[in-house]
Amino acid sequence: MKNSLNMFATRINPTHVKFVFMLVMLAMLVLGAGAPTDNGSVGH
Amino acid sequence: MILLSAIVAGMVVGLLVSWRTKTTWQPPSFKYGWLVVAGFIPQFLAFFLPATRSFFPDWLAAASLVGTQVILLAFCLLNRRLPGILLIIIGLGLNLIVILANGGFMPLPLETAANWLPNEIFNQLESGRRIGSGSKDVLLPMNKIILPWLADRFYPPKGFPYQFVFSLGDVLIAAGTFWLLVKSALPAKPIVEESHA
Repeated sequence: MKNSLNMFATRINPTHVKFVFMLVMLAMLVLGAGAPTDNGSVGH
Repeated sequence: MILLSAIVAGMVVGLLVSWRTKTTWQPPSFKYGWLVVAGFIPQFLAFFLPATRSFFPDWLAAASLVGTQVILLAFCLLNRRLPGILLIIIGLGLNLIVILANGGFMPLPLETAANWLPNEIFNQLESGRRIGSGSKDVLLPMNKIILPWLADRFYPPKGFPYQFVFSLGDVLIAAGTFWLLVKSALPAKPIVEESHA
């Protein structure tokens, strides 16, 4: 278990981390900037 | 949620492009990322999180929406050199203009809602009021909407599996997001040196 965690950690490089941060930021940007509405949010 | 599909589509096409061109996908690097967090958290509390959004009175939700969109616009302007961001700036600007012009929420024309929503849901709505605490939209008759072409007046055809209404600004935001991700995967143009022959 510890070995596989170590393997996983060594495979993560700064580009992966940067990529995940970029995606999270982009998701927050589009959700905040846009104003579409689906019928699930009507009446709640 | 529909805007998140632009991210997914951009990622899929970006991955395909980088695989096809055998290039490494360089994610775009944003500056002033803290502005996005500062711009999103109040909206998250006022519109997205069910546990908190019902505590926000309409005036405070409207103020959060306008204030946070100004912050997000500032973020985009500071990152305007990235591909696709110009489209996001225009889309966000159009959304912000129509929201400001109509009292702090995105107007949803009554006529659009009547066509888009099932009758039993539409009949429960009240003109001049928000259509739900999780929505940024306010229901208004078309003739009372300022800048109606920028409102949430477009919707997919009946039978489309996911039903939603969107604005022209939303389309530009989705297009800019898609292009930002795809352009990052395209190989950089080689620098052509001038020949002095």
